[in-house]
Amino acid sequence: MLSSKNTARCIRMRRKFFLLLVTDYWLLVTFIGCGPSYPETRVKESIIKICKKEYGLDVKVATVGKTITIYLPLTQLIDFTFAITKEASEKINDVILTAARVTLSTDAKVDFYCIIAHDVRIPEIQIVIVKYVDDVKRFLLNDISRGEYSKRMLVDIRLSPQAQKERAIKDVFSKMKLDEKWEDQVMNEFFRAEPTGLGEMGYWEGRFYIKDVTLAEFLAEQTANRIKMEFKEDRFLSDNFLMKSAKGTYVSKEDERYFRFDVSAAPNGEAVEMSAQELQNKVNQAALRIAYQVLHGYRFEDFNYVLVVDITDDRATKVLKEDLKNFRSKNAKLDGAMEVEVY
Amino acid sequence: MISRKLKLFIKVYWVRFAILLAILLLLVLAIWGMMSLESFYRNITLAQLPMQILLVAFNAAIFVFLYMSVLGGRGFTKFSKKITVRGELVNIKWSDVIGMDSIKEESKEVVELIKDRVRVKNIGGKIMRGILMFGPPGCGKTYLAKAIATETGLPFVSMSGSEFVELFVGVGASRMRQLFKRARELAYGYGGCIVFIDELDAVGRNRVFSAYGGTEETNSTQNQLLAEMDGLQEMEDKSGEARPEQNIVVIGATNAPEERIDPALRRPGRFDRILYIDLPSLQDREKIFEYYLGKVKYDKSIDIGRLARKSVHKSPADIANVVKEAALIATRNRREEIKFVDFSEAIERIELGLKHKRILTPREKEMVAYHESGHLITTYLLHPTEDVFKASIVSRRHTLGVVWPQPREELYTQSKEKLLADVKVYLSGYAAEKLKFNTTADGVWGDFKQATTIAHAMVWMLGMSEAGFLGDYTAIPQSQLSDSIKEKLNNETDKIFKSCLKEVEELLKKERPLLDRFAKELIEREELDYDEIDAIFKEYGKMHTNAA
Repeated sequence: MLSSKNTARCIRMRRKFFLLLVTDYWLLVTFIGCGPSYPETRVKESIIKICKKEYGLDVKVATVGKTITIYLPLTQLIDFTFAITKEASEKINDVILTAARVTLSTDAKVDFYCIIAHDVRIPEIQIVIVKYVDDVKRFLLNDISRGEYSKRMLVDIRLSPQAQKERAIKDVFSKMKLDEKWEDQVMNEFFRAEPTGLGEMGYWEGRFYIKDVTLAEFLAEQTANRIKMEFKEDRFLSDNFLMKSAKGTYVSKEDERYFRFDVSAAPNGEAVEMSAQELQNKVNQAALRIAYQVLHGYRFEDFNYVLVVDITDDRATKVLKEDLKNFRSKNAKLDGAMEVEVY
Repeated sequence: MISRKLKLFIKVYWVRFAILLAILLLLVLAIWGMMSLESFYRNITLAQLPMQILLVAFNAAIFVFLYMSVLGGRGFTKFSKKITVRGELVNIKWSDVIGMDSIKEESKEVVELIKDRVRVKNIGGKIMRGILMFGPPGCGKTYLAKAIATETGLPFVSMSGSEFVELFVGVGASRMRQLFKRARELAYGYGGCIVFIDELDAVGRNRVFSAYGGTEETNSTQNQLLAEMDGLQEMEDKSGEARPEQNIVVIGATNAPEERIDPALRRPGRFDRILYIDLPSLQDREKIFEYYLGKVKYDKSIDIGRLARKSVHKSPADIANVVKEAALIATRNRREEIKFVDFSEAIERIELGLKHKRILTPREKEMVAYHESGHLITTYLLHPTEDVFKASIVSRRHTLGVVWPQPREELYTQSKEKLLADVKVYLSGYAAEKLKFNTTADGVWGDFKQATTIAHAMVWMLGMSEAGFLGDYTAIPQSQLSDSIKEKLNNETDKIFKSCLKEVEELLKKERPLLDRFAKELIEREELDYDEIDAIFKEYGKMHTNAA
């Protein structure tokens, strides 16, 4: 019974109301969605505050470039079996969560965060955990699996390199009977420098020894860790090889960039009947496969080749970037690989 | 009044208010919740929002589709359309109601009574509850009801009687309750309300009381209507003073005869006033033509009076249809304006139906031509009140031919002479066939049926027999009529029949050349208009009955 004019007016009014509602909603949602929860200027304070307020933990925070480092002193990091205690593990997880929360919700440019947990009774022993922020995001968005996520995290329990260095120097000083005031000065001038690699990062006597972690060195270290892990998990490799060491480095020179993996895996006594060359090929294949998986997983392109070095005879296998994809499967042949000598 | 309107608004739209409040609450909660999230999780939520909205819209679309396809977008007892509109928005004024002057006067009085209830109550009068309008279809009953709504300025709730009829028992009664509930709410808000039920016969026809203890669905709907109208009365009686929600007037409209409407509805206290709306008179038809012609381009030399005379017994809706049809014909003929011929063709098309050619054998065609020529000559020469508008042997609807008579003037009574002339006209087709072919066809069946009905009514009901039988013998139960009376009456009917036939046969014998000429003309031209027919008669020196 309504006239068409009224109906049209009614529809127009409803449309206006609906548009107003939607606009308000979007404006409000957009406004509250704009600001970061932890602005760049308050990143350190935020981590300290959250750790203290929500977990009762006293931490110290330092930043270098795009890396945040959190120092967590613990009263009992390891037990008498040298295993991490449950309490320590929970506290470390709390700090990891805090670091993740802050780095994900800040406008500061943070690529990595590093947690250094320290047992105050035995300060030489420390746990260093390094995480790439993008990995955390991808895990939370279900872009990578939990297993992959845990493999992407660098966890290292080690003696503090700085502590070892300083102890040795102090030993020398005491033998030379030098004055203590000179000791500190000499230490500062000659032995307390910024670390050059990830393995030198740590905290010693109130001072952070940290560096700005780059993705390339993070990947190199991660690949080395994964190679070690592969030699434990893969049945064939674990049955036939004894993994002694695996070290990853990213070398950046003027004319070339490459990953170098120094792998030392010796055949064990019960190995299958294979020639030494065949066995070495198996090691190289495994290392190159892992390297491919890691570098492809991160879409990392800034390298020319990968070098897998057998540190027992200084011979290396070199695979160009474009040939690396041939090593995606376990049974890949070393067709594209070149044997080179390294020094 | 404003607070009442506000209360009414909230009462009517409480669902919308509740939804709006819920939306606002959810909005606040959503913002609050979002603000409590860290920006990363907030961004994740925001990023998912468009997809969630899309999914919700998709789900809603599926739901709406299923809801519309299963229930037609409404519950069983809900109204199928928006039934309410405020009086002033109806916007049909008295001046828009053309003709029907006496009915308009009555309606104006009703409007005054609705508007000035206090005055009626002060002198102890009872407030009018309902108006029932009887009349043929298309005579403007709905239009008049809308005009009443406009003049009173009250909200107008309109429903058709058929909207109460559903497959499910109880739905009609439920809708009736809802209708009056809505009307009471509107009356509360606006000081009164008009409920218009069109095609009232759908719910208001005489109730059937089943011997098995059950009642029809219509009964329960009508009972609910009666109860609602009584409820209005009760409210008035109890309150003692005028309450806005009692100020409801129910207007019913129907094409059905008065006796088909249940007496309980017609009694005072329900539909207190009955208005009989008739077909428009000649003057009214002229005004209606003027009104509708004002909306189209037409040849100004057209005599509107002639159009009105040509459209005897036409309702305003028929006239509107004639004008619309004429406009279509003029458009088809690529004319800039509507000419008189377009109107003639439109009237013919509406009256006689569309032509559709049937292939007749020459013998059949000749027989039809003689049959129609018989009707034509008898009507022209013997009928005292009708002209021949057109004769045709083109098939239309179920007929093979037709002579279309046109009353010369509007008559509300029928004289003996007119009825006898009607019988003669009906029998003339038979007489013409017999005269020419010495045999007849089944085309006379319809004519005989009409002629017998008229002759029978003249003797049995109207006291028009030569033997002087007076009174309506059909009012007496057949079992109480003696066989001799019945025989005598039937003999009188037969006498009328035979005398009319004899007269027609003599006429056609006498006018045989004319009969042959018209038959020939019809076979050749298939259709003859009034002017052509008149010219042929004049050629033979024959004058029209009236003119004679």
